[in-house]
Amino acid sequence: MSFRTKLLLIVLLTIFASVTVVAYGVTHYTQAAFEEMDAERTEALVAQFKKEFVQRGEEIASQARNIAEANITETMAIDLSHPNADLSLYFRDANGAAQGHGLDFVEFVKYDGVMVSSAQFPARVGYKNDWVTSVKDWNDSQAFLRKEELPDGVLLSLTVVRANNTVENKSLYVIGGRRLDKKFLASLVLPTGMRALIYTNLDSSFASASLLAEKGEVDQAERFAPLVEQLKKQPQPIVRTIEWTRDPADAETFHAIPLTGRNNELLAIFFVGSSRKELVLLTNKIVKIAAAVGAGALFIGLLIAFWISARITKPVEELAAAAREVAGGRWDTRIDVRGRDEIGQLAAAFNEMTQTLAAQKESLVQTERVAAWRELARRLAHELRNPLFPMQITIENLQKARKLDAKQFLEVFHESTATLKAELANLNTIVSRFSDFSKMPAPQFARVNLNEAIRNAVRLFEPQFNEVGKPTITPELFLTDPLPEIDADPGLLHRAFQNLVLNALDAMPAGGTLTLKTFEHEGNVRIEVADTGKGLTPEECSRLFTPYYTTKLQGTGLGLAIVQSVVSDHHGSITVTSHEGRGTTFRIDLPQRQAGVTTTPREPAPDEPKSAPSTLAAASD
Amino acid sequence: MQLHSQTVSLDPREWKTGATASATNEKLAALVFDRLLALDNYGRFQPRLATEWSHDAAFKKWQFILRTNVKFSDGTLLNAADVAGALQPLLLNGQQIRASANSVVIQSAVAMPDLLEELASGRLFVYRAQPDGTLMGTGPFFVVEIGTEGRRPSNPAAKDSDGASVARGATGTMHLRFRANEETWAGRPFLDEIDVTIGVPPLRQLFDLQLGKADLVELSPDLVRRAMQEKLRVWSSVPVTLYALRFDDAQPGVADAKLREALALSLDRHTMANVLLQKQAEPAAALLPQWLSGYAFLFTMEKDIERAKEIRAALPPSAAASKEPLRLRVEAGGDLPKLLGERVAVNVRQAAIPLQVVNRAALRGSSATTSSNDAAASVHLFAWHYSSLSSRIELESFVSTLNLGESTSSAVSPTDPEQLYAREKKLLEERRVLPLVVLPEYVGLGPNVRDWMPARWGEWHLADVWLTVPESGAEQRGNSNAASPGAKP
Repeated sequence: MSFRTKLLLIVLLTIFASVTVVAYGVTHYTQAAFEEMDAERTEALVAQFKKEFVQRGEEIASQARNIAEANITETMAIDLSHPNADLSLYFRDANGAAQGHGLDFVEFVKYDGVMVSSAQFPARVGYKNDWVTSVKDWNDSQAFLRKEELPDGVLLSLTVVRANNTVENKSLYVIGGRRLDKKFLASLVLPTGMRALIYTNLDSSFASASLLAEKGEVDQAERFAPLVEQLKKQPQPIVRTIEWTRDPADAETFHAIPLTGRNNELLAIFFVGSSRKELVLLTNKIVKIAAAVGAGALFIGLLIAFWISARITKPVEELAAAAREVAGGRWDTRIDVRGRDEIGQLAAAFNEMTQTLAAQKESLVQTERVAAWRELARRLAHELRNPLFPMQITIENLQKARKLDAKQFLEVFHESTATLKAELANLNTIVSRFSDFSKMPAPQFARVNLNEAIRNAVRLFEPQFNEVGKPTITPELFLTDPLPEIDADPGLLHRAFQNLVLNALDAMPAGGTLTLKTFEHEGNVRIEVADTGKGLTPEECSRLFTPYYTTKLQGTGLGLAIVQSVVSDHHGSITVTSHEGRGTTFRIDLPQRQAGVTTTPREPAPDEPKSAPSTLAAASD
Repeated sequence: MQLHSQTVSLDPREWKTGATASATNEKLAALVFDRLLALDNYGRFQPRLATEWSHDAAFKKWQFILRTNVKFSDGTLLNAADVAGALQPLLLNGQQIRASANSVVIQSAVAMPDLLEELASGRLFVYRAQPDGTLMGTGPFFVVEIGTEGRRPSNPAAKDSDGASVARGATGTMHLRFRANEETWAGRPFLDEIDVTIGVPPLRQLFDLQLGKADLVELSPDLVRRAMQEKLRVWSSVPVTLYALRFDDAQPGVADAKLREALALSLDRHTMANVLLQKQAEPAAALLPQWLSGYAFLFTMEKDIERAKEIRAALPPSAAASKEPLRLRVEAGGDLPKLLGERVAVNVRQAAIPLQVVNRAALRGSSATTSSNDAAASVHLFAWHYSSLSSRIELESFVSTLNLGESTSSAVSPTDPEQLYAREKKLLEERRVLPLVVLPEYVGLGPNVRDWMPARWGEWHLADVWLTVPESGAEQRGNSNAASPGAKP
């Protein structure tokens, strides 16, 4: 990952983290504020319920008082105060009173607690209601919740008791009430998203039908069972959220308020439900806005980060590019120095370094050039001196021969001219060699099978491996097969391998083993040529590829220079390792493909035979 | 005339024994059809279509000489085959009737000493079945119109087609118009036409009677006191309807006789009769009323709530009503049976026997937990209308209709009241059926109704009734129910 990418990511992550923190904070605090508002709304509704409860009780009390104070009730009280009063005369009166005063429940109870008339349960007439007579004065009492027994079951009613005291010590009690049901719930003004439910706790176990809403039954009423059970155990207000579906927007928060009777028995539970839909929608909206803002901020941050990173990394990239150029040989590379910061100082130091390196390189080249000319002069002097000396002797002999007779002179003359011609030929040969080295051709690349090229080169020297009268040299080939074909000039390669083999043969005058290996190495193809000769000194190794340098008595010193030239023209590398007494190993690494080169199909090497029956002892790994 | 029955059928073959609707059916059928004979208020059998009758010594064969020149409403003559064809499907099992010249002979393998009571009551009307299924009679009136209130389509086909079955629609009331039969053998009735409205609510009937919109209405017992306070003419019959509880095996608990005993001891019949029904009913200890059997006074009402509690407490935990409450289904229609059912529930709960009343509409807007109407009930509150003048036949009908045990007409000697008493006593001791109260029939009469002389067991004689024309407002009342007195031949 580049420095610019890293810098870009760091800036982006920083922006993303900042936006996330801000969005979370806004969402969290908005949600908290909304929930607080929702709680206030619920409290308002609960307060309204309590107020409605009190108002309804006052209404009932007013109607019950009206009934108790009516003339017909007074007449009834007087009549019923007599022993053996006829109850049948008043059997239907409660029904009429209930209808006349808009009450759901009206009952008349005698001074002794006997039910005289009941609007809601006429069949209960004659039965005693001792709880009514247990209170001395009902007329100042408040409304209370009561479990009202009906023919079909039980109902919850808001009840008031008033007494007609026309007859002293023989009061006639009027019990008036209204059912606490969905009509009562309908009278509550509910804000949007809120609803009120009431559960009448009249059965021992949870009954879905006992949970009432303003508009009939409640869906999934059984979900309230745990709340009801908890309130039965501990009648304290609780708040619980019910998730109706997997969608959080369908969840509802319920405030459960226990409603108790005169003896603090739990008779009903009032539920105020607040839909979380608005909260969830608001939260989602805020999250979406935060996401949009975050995305925008990230985009802008991306642009800014890109610009910043580009501005920061450009001098570094220029420095890196310049360093790569220096590594590629352009020692005179320079970069622009901008500013005086650390990057600017680094650029100045780089320029100073390349300037120094270029100067040292020029000096080294001059030195090497002088050394090369000296060596060339020495080699030329040496090579030219060899034929010149016989020529000098021959010419001196010819000058001496002028004193001889013609026949002898002619004989000497012929011998001398022959010698001169031979030495001149030698001189010509020497000159041709130097001329050839100076005229190394540019490589013509084609797909080449290295193993075949090596075999062909070795095959040329087969007669010399077992030459009569000379020590035996054993060639051993360890050629990896298959080996990738490479882009190379087959003629130049053949010449290089020929020189290497010849060099090895010269290094083993007492015989030995010539080892050749091919294999893949780090994406290249490696060729190793090893001999078992006496080896070279480190100094000899360092000068081995210098033109005209040789350690042999007979040699121009151009063979390995040609090898290095060929390898270099193939963008490869050649190294030598040698240990005295154990031999020398040349390692050549050649790339498989040449950049920008379109190769032609493989062509046979110049000396490649049509068929290559090998008589060599070859081995391959 | 206004009746509060929900349905009316003038075909005796469709009537169900003991059903309260049979009382209305009989009253309207008596306008159209005749019986062979009748029983007067003095207990004497009076000839109607039969002028003479005789029997063999064993009471197994009876011969009835038919009145001659009796015509149906279409003018055709009545013959013995008509009588035999009409009565055969109505007679008790084992009784065979055949036509013989101008008489009919009724035979049975068992003695029929109370055949005259049987023929003088209930559904044993003589009719002729028409090809279209309607029935034609020889009575003082015939049906001329059937329709709904506010829309009274004429029904010409009904002119000669008596015995139509009609039912009240989903809303509104039904009307039947009867017209005097000029050809009847007993002489033309005084009234030209009788307009009968069925399905009128009790309070509406009372108002219509007060307002003069009706001359004769059925009165609900709970309105009788009010009608009397309003100075209206009220007539009551002897008790003709029994309200009782019946047990079946729909719930396993009631098979326990002890539970039934506890339940019976908890019942407060006096409050039912004197308070709920405002003294317009009588507590019932027997299945048959005193006027019919003559021995009903021998049965005593058992009420002992403490004893009921003891029995209930002594019942094993696996006994009835320990797991689920008993269910009481009120089978009779109207508010009074419901009220009685609720009172039974209150009484029984006092003895710690849980009981729910089912098959009734939930309270208006009630949020009370209501019982499932589909639940099987083991206790049934039903009404039984006494339709026979023979106590033996009535009891046998009661037993067979309610499946109270083995019952054949030979099980009890018709001549031995002691056997009848023993049989009824045994039935009561088994407590498979518990009588609650017996109610008379109450009729409110308009001020213009004259010669209202019904039988005390509730048989109306409308052919003898006539109306005075009010000094004013006669035109306002219309023709349908303002018939002028006619001349009786």
